[in-house]
Amino acid sequence: MLSVTKLSKTFPGVRALSDVDFTAHAGQVHALVGENGAGKSTLIKVLTGVYRPDAGEVSYDGAPVRFATPLQAQQAGISTIYQEVNLVPLMSVARNLFLGREPRGRLGLIDFGRLHREADEALRRLGIRVDVRRPLRELGVGAQQMVALARAVAVDARVVIMDEPTSSLEPREVATLFGVIRMLRERGVAVIYVSHRMDELYEICDAVTVLRDGRVVHTGPLAGLDRLRLVSMMLGREIGEVRTEGLTKFSGSHTATAEPVLRADNLTVRHRLNDVSLALRPGEVVGLGGLLGSGRSETAKAIAGALPTDAGRVSVAGTPVRTGSTAAAIRAGISLLPEDRKAEGIVPGLSVRENIALAALPALSRFGLVDDSRIDRVVETFMKRLRIKAAGPHQKVGELSGGNQQKVLLARWLALHPKVLLLDEPTRGIDVGAKAEVQALIDELADDGLAVLLISSDTEELIEGSDRVIVLKEGVVVRELTGDDVTEDGLMRALASAPAGGHDG
Amino acid sequence: MADLALARGTLDRARLLRLLQEYGVYAGVAVLLLFNFAFTPYFLSTENFRTQAVQVAPVLVVALGMALAIGTEGVDLSVGSVMALSTSLLSLYLGYGPWIAALIAVLGGIVVGVANGALVAFVGVQPIVATLALMVAGRGLALVLLPQLKDVRDPGMAALGSGDVLGVPYLVLIAAALALLVAFVVRRTTFGRQVLAIGDSRPAARLAGLPVSRVLVVVYVCSGALAAVAGILATARLSASDPTSLGTLMELSAITAVVVGGTPLSGGRVRIGGTVAGAVLIQLLTTTLIKHDLPPSWTQIAQAVVIVLAVYAARERGRR
Amino acid sequence: MTSLALVTACTKSEDDSGKNTSGATQDDAGQQVASPSTDSGPTCTVDAYGGGKLDLKGATVGFSQSEKEANPFRIAETASIKAEAQKRGIKLLTANAQSQFSKQISDVQDLIAKGANLLVIAPLNSDGWEPVLRAASAKHIPIVTIDRKINATACKDYVSFIGSDFVQQGQRAADQMIEATGGKGEIAILLGAAGNNVTTERTKGFEDRIKEKAPGLKIVFRQTGEFAREKGQSVTENLIQSKPGITGIYAENDEMGLGAVNALKGAGKKPGDVKIVTIDGTRNAVQAIVDGWIYGVIESNPRFGPLAFQTLDTFTQGGKVGQDIVIQDSSYAKGNAQTDLGKAY
Repeated sequence: MLSVTKLSKTFPGVRALSDVDFTAHAGQVHALVGENGAGKSTLIKVLTGVYRPDAGEVSYDGAPVRFATPLQAQQAGISTIYQEVNLVPLMSVARNLFLGREPRGRLGLIDFGRLHREADEALRRLGIRVDVRRPLRELGVGAQQMVALARAVAVDARVVIMDEPTSSLEPREVATLFGVIRMLRERGVAVIYVSHRMDELYEICDAVTVLRDGRVVHTGPLAGLDRLRLVSMMLGREIGEVRTEGLTKFSGSHTATAEPVLRADNLTVRHRLNDVSLALRPGEVVGLGGLLGSGRSETAKAIAGALPTDAGRVSVAGTPVRTGSTAAAIRAGISLLPEDRKAEGIVPGLSVRENIALAALPALSRFGLVDDSRIDRVVETFMKRLRIKAAGPHQKVGELSGGNQQKVLLARWLALHPKVLLLDEPTRGIDVGAKAEVQALIDELADDGLAVLLISSDTEELIEGSDRVIVLKEGVVVRELTGDDVTEDGLMRALASAPAGGHDG
Repeated sequence: MADLALARGTLDRARLLRLLQEYGVYAGVAVLLLFNFAFTPYFLSTENFRTQAVQVAPVLVVALGMALAIGTEGVDLSVGSVMALSTSLLSLYLGYGPWIAALIAVLGGIVVGVANGALVAFVGVQPIVATLALMVAGRGLALVLLPQLKDVRDPGMAALGSGDVLGVPYLVLIAAALALLVAFVVRRTTFGRQVLAIGDSRPAARLAGLPVSRVLVVVYVCSGALAAVAGILATARLSASDPTSLGTLMELSAITAVVVGGTPLSGGRVRIGGTVAGAVLIQLLTTTLIKHDLPPSWTQIAQAVVIVLAVYAARERGRR
Repeated sequence: MTSLALVTACTKSEDDSGKNTSGATQDDAGQQVASPSTDSGPTCTVDAYGGGKLDLKGATVGFSQSEKEANPFRIAETASIKAEAQKRGIKLLTANAQSQFSKQISDVQDLIAKGANLLVIAPLNSDGWEPVLRAASAKHIPIVTIDRKINATACKDYVSFIGSDFVQQGQRAADQMIEATGGKGEIAILLGAAGNNVTTERTKGFEDRIKEKAPGLKIVFRQTGEFAREKGQSVTENLIQSKPGITGIYAENDEMGLGAVNALKGAGKKPGDVKIVTIDGTRNAVQAIVDGWIYGVIESNPRFGPLAFQTLDTFTQGGKVGQDIVIQDSSYAKGNAQTDLGKAY
């Protein structure tokens, strides 16, 4: 259906793809895997007309093509769902769904009645219930992703490319997504599926192509391919190595002292959080579990002063912290690694050095003048300690891989010597190798006496990484798992039971 | 073979564009200077360079403030009106002596800056709208205070307008000092770093605990104060206060200087050296066309071409 | 308003002690009513225009000014209309469009609604007057436009246009320039704002006259100063550097001429080194003649009051009035500058 031969693409200083052959067949789900920086995103962008290849050929339906723009590719029947949702946040859900092909009434005006009706139906078929008149940005990331999916499916696509579509979906939505993918497969659509999650690949994909350093290292059917073999090809490491190291890097439990360093009491944010209380002791990792939209990120943001609260108190080591002010929270020793790394975390145009020093600047300055030598020392320390891979401290953070961006953010906070670290999805969208490093780092930090709050949609990560797990549901704490209860099974049961608000379990 | 050549072609083009953005403005200044050395009679004289420097001084001072505003992904359209307000206030208070009058004029600029900054930082109005409001209001207030052109005969102001130190006019010295000061602030101070971070990613800056609102207010206050200083300089040079026409379209000249100098409108980067060169480039372009007595419409077309080139270079870079 | 009061409360400008020098308070000493008589060119009568005769005394006249009275010309123009109305004891309604054309249209409609029997309009634009003219002609309200013409049919849509002859102003400026330079040398023109009929006509009159009368005088430089002092100054600074041998500068308004004087002073020139001729006749420019910096100034007469009311008077009593009436402009030079300084606006 869609194939490339001998494809190469070079960016200044980087050879992103070299001699790549890849074919997606109709009625097949083809996994595209590799660590970050392996060239997956570049390949997708070439396929969809965002980039033009330096060498090689793209052929579609048996004939060579050259898409000059993403629009051309889209019109030819290639739909893409990107990792970052690329819709118009201010427009309504319905407008986004039908953008560019709105149902017209008389006089060529948009027929809003029909638009809303059809949009509602389309989403309902995918098991999503939202008010299609609301602006898209009011929806959670997961719901936005589903809208993007609905949009891709609604146009008569013959090739659908999904770039980590499940990274912000909750399990129920993932099931819906897989249902849709199976439906597409039966319709004879070629699906190209990019993901880091092994379970998903084996559940839904028929074939796999592994990319490493811009080259194809393996391509073939997925069934019969050993999991560890696949991981080892992605990482370029031997099987034995992977097996002994395991898939997550957590060591397990920590020894926590008795007195909590952070206390959050009765946090309430209208429509989002209701009376949430929790306490973190130095040296422990507390997981925050819950489904998408259960208020995990909101809890972290409320504690960090990034979300104004209607009620509730936060105190660090017994001293009350003014809520609703990030500056006050930071002064008290609370640091938040935000969920949306690209939009809320990194400052992409500034260098690694500037990004690390950003929050600590007042401490690294004298009379408002920046003390460059002190910054250099701090930056060097953290780049070494966190093993940040960059061309140097002056490389722009926007050019780094996701994992290294995350490490830069961690360094920014560690440079402040915080007492409490709130990590919201610290390993989302970063490659397997970096993920392991970040996980090991979280362990290490807790051992050093930091209190860590961990939010992760990856249940394995949450369970293995946390000493305790507090489970949220619809903005309410429903359960706390401790000791031997901290298991996937325990978490699932907590999520399934005790509906707080009382509708659809 | 062909593919290889193609690859190199695009690579060179990308590099060329990057170079164009980084150094294009300096190359442009150099080209214009060489052209004038060769083809413009009497160009190579100290007197001429003094004139060019004096003429560019007010634009440059305004552009410095504009560069800061643009660095935060904002813009300050009120600068021309602040110049008019500044000249009105100056004229009205000149009876107390030039120093006090100048102080009050700068204070006026600061007040406008606070209003701009408060609208942008606390009310959340888009900079282009907020400063547009102050642009209209500022000019109006200037004309209410001083409805028509008024001569300035104060000897202190006259000295400021035409005096010099070792052959370098005061106006040029002041503009150069301010440029160095702003460059220092951008490069070496916490405030400068915070401006860049806020311009690049405001949510990230906010979550990193930066005093976003305070920095924004200070940026617009700086812009207002610098525009007021430019108003004083222009008044001294003209030896008259002319609130009707002083500073009209100044915001466009300043934005042009900043953008041509390689500071992207998307914020996160401030190039003071480039801004100075940008202002000089526009000045030289205008001068060259005037000295060769070409129709004035050519100047506008030439400026437009330079802006398009600058924006094109910036856009190509942003797309990568 | 209170804040404004605070701002202005303790101001102290340079010449607060001195008397107000703006043109608003001066007497109408310099008023020139004389104009070419009605027997040249097409004329208009009340019969041809429609409507009936009326007595100007007891009538209400509406005056619509185009721009804020922020420059000497507009100040003197409005003052002259007001003074003449008062002198004749006529009720005058005034409005100012503040340079917004849409406001001027509604101003005029307001004036009609408030009961103006006659209109004097200083138009901001030449085009776009249809709605107002329709409303006025329905009521047979005679309209006189001053200083700028409107694109409509005289004696049908309006009665007369009274204004200066800008081509003639240019010619007279050329005559002064020839006199000043002896008809030899290189001269420069500081043009007004581009795309403005005043600019084109003042340029045409000047250039044609120079070509015709003084072929030895070469125009080597034409750049716009946009009618502003600052632009006039910076353009002249460049001019005197690239063409040090320049003998004369013709500035199409006083402000640019004064800017040129600034530039010459800055370059260390002496009064009279470069002959400057300007148009308008503002007090500052006439003062510069006295000081020796400017050679001559051709007046562009803003005192339309007497002529406008005289035209309306003749017309409403059934007499013939010209469709295009040229107001007489005086001129200032070394000989009369000192004595006539009081007449300048």
